[in-house]
Amino acid sequence: MIKAENLTKKFGNLTVFEDVNLHVHKGECIAVIGPSGTGKSVLFRSLALLERPNAGHVYINGTNITQKGININKVREKLGMVYQGFHLFSHLNVLDNITLAPVKVRGDSKAKAIKSAEELLAMVGLADKAFSYPHQLSGGQQQRVAIARSLAMEPDIILFDEPTSALDPSMTGEVLAIIRNLARSGLTMMITTHEMGFAQDVANRVFYMDEKGIYEEGTADEIFLSPKREKTRLFIRRLKVFNYSVTSKGFDMVAMNVKIELFCQKYNIEHKKINYIQLVLEELMLEVFNGCYKYLQPDIEYTVEYSEERDEIQITFIYRGEEYNPFLTIEGSDQLGMVLISGISKSYTHNYENSCNTIILNI
Amino acid sequence: MDILESIANAVSKNLIAGNAWIVVLGGLKVTLLISVAGLFFGTITGVIFCAMRLSKSAILRFFSKTLIAILRGSPVLLLLMILYYVVFANSRVNAVYIAIIAFALNSGAHIAEIMRSALLAVDKKQLEAARMLGFTPFKAFMSITLPQSWRVAKPVYQNAIINLIQWTSVVGYVTITDLTRTVNNIGARTGDPFFALFFGVLIYLAISYLVYILFSLKTEKKGAL
Repeated sequence: MIKAENLTKKFGNLTVFEDVNLHVHKGECIAVIGPSGTGKSVLFRSLALLERPNAGHVYINGTNITQKGININKVREKLGMVYQGFHLFSHLNVLDNITLAPVKVRGDSKAKAIKSAEELLAMVGLADKAFSYPHQLSGGQQQRVAIARSLAMEPDIILFDEPTSALDPSMTGEVLAIIRNLARSGLTMMITTHEMGFAQDVANRVFYMDEKGIYEEGTADEIFLSPKREKTRLFIRRLKVFNYSVTSKGFDMVAMNVKIELFCQKYNIEHKKINYIQLVLEELMLEVFNGCYKYLQPDIEYTVEYSEERDEIQITFIYRGEEYNPFLTIEGSDQLGMVLISGISKSYTHNYENSCNTIILNI
Repeated sequence: MDILESIANAVSKNLIAGNAWIVVLGGLKVTLLISVAGLFFGTITGVIFCAMRLSKSAILRFFSKTLIAILRGSPVLLLLMILYYVVFANSRVNAVYIAIIAFALNSGAHIAEIMRSALLAVDKKQLEAARMLGFTPFKAFMSITLPQSWRVAKPVYQNAIINLIQWTSVVGYVTITDLTRTVNNIGARTGDPFFALFFGVLIYLAISYLVYILFSLKTEKKGAL
């Protein structure tokens, strides 16, 4: 249905994506996910030739639409697009919005167009809004009209470009329900979305876009449950990462604590947890300084990962040198620091490999 | 009773005596001719200027921008006098035609700017949505851009028309006997300028209202831009 070969799009010096290859089969629903600004929209616009790709080819229904002399208007009749901002024709009422293209482009009779428009409106649940104007409708209703308008041309493929991003949460449901039904009815579609639950549920395949292209591709379960590559994992788990390394006993602990606090505040981590993170790191640091680096300078690196999805914090604490497991000394000792750490953490593990101690803590 | 009587007197003295109303009617005809023809050719000129102003060629853009700036920035009376006393000084072209040319140029410049801002006000995304439904650029222009920009332009266009009609009152400077000049003449002849001039105001007011009514004939639809 849609095939792209070595598709490249640049704006001046900025490369949006390079050498993208994709193949969408009939009846498939493809979710395109990824952080903002990774070219999801531009990819769609390039597939519809609204942006001219700098290199590569796009095939729609087997026709190479990037070659010269192609009647792109004919191609687009069968290639629908639903936008984030709806873009209904503001001077026309709902019914005219839907019938305009069938009448003016395909040459349907007005009566026939109205009949099928009414069916489409009933399908999207807006039969009573036929004579309303776009500005009289809510965002969710406008988007449903936009979907009906697109369907009126009986497209083979619809590209949904963030169809719910401009809607407030109370309205996304009604639009997603319609898209879900369309996907079930076997319409070929591609959808960019930030609704991960929806993408996982509806999509046959998922493209994760990052690093100027499709970074990882797989079935919905593959991508959402066991992403293979690092950036996909960070994105899916909605992980926010903070890195720090300590190479001197005299390091600036105040500055470190400020950085941790800023990082945490950025992601709305509650104050109690910020204190815990700082406390745990301080105690671990002191413990390791005494236990492992008594006569040496330290070589410590740690990462704080915050998962927005699960509201969980994981600290990975790595220090090079001799094997030293601070948790072994807890039992019956008077080491208040380690008792504190084990009290705060949900779980902790220590591991020694290649002269590297690794402690993983969950808070 | 005194007031009514004096009005009746004034009417008979100013308008009835010596069939003065026929003269007024003649002046009205000239005013309307210059206005309607000026508007017609002015709109055509406006379309041409506007097309040049939005064209891809930098030379055309610069040329039209300069021309529009000059025409909009100078009094139409001076343009009229330049055409009459300089450009067509040695030709036998009827002064009315010269006036039509002057007003077509002047209102054309104004209308070009009205059109340009109205065209630019149309949501490009709606145009793109139309293209995605298979509209050719021309069909999309006719179905989306034109109706939408007309809604933006309409009230301003109406103003431009009324402005044009009122500015035609200066054609007396180049020997044309229009409405303003006839009422002025009558006032001078009867020695009662107040009534004659006030009567002229009433007629201009009536024409402006007529334009207003014509524009509101087609009832406004509820859609917004």
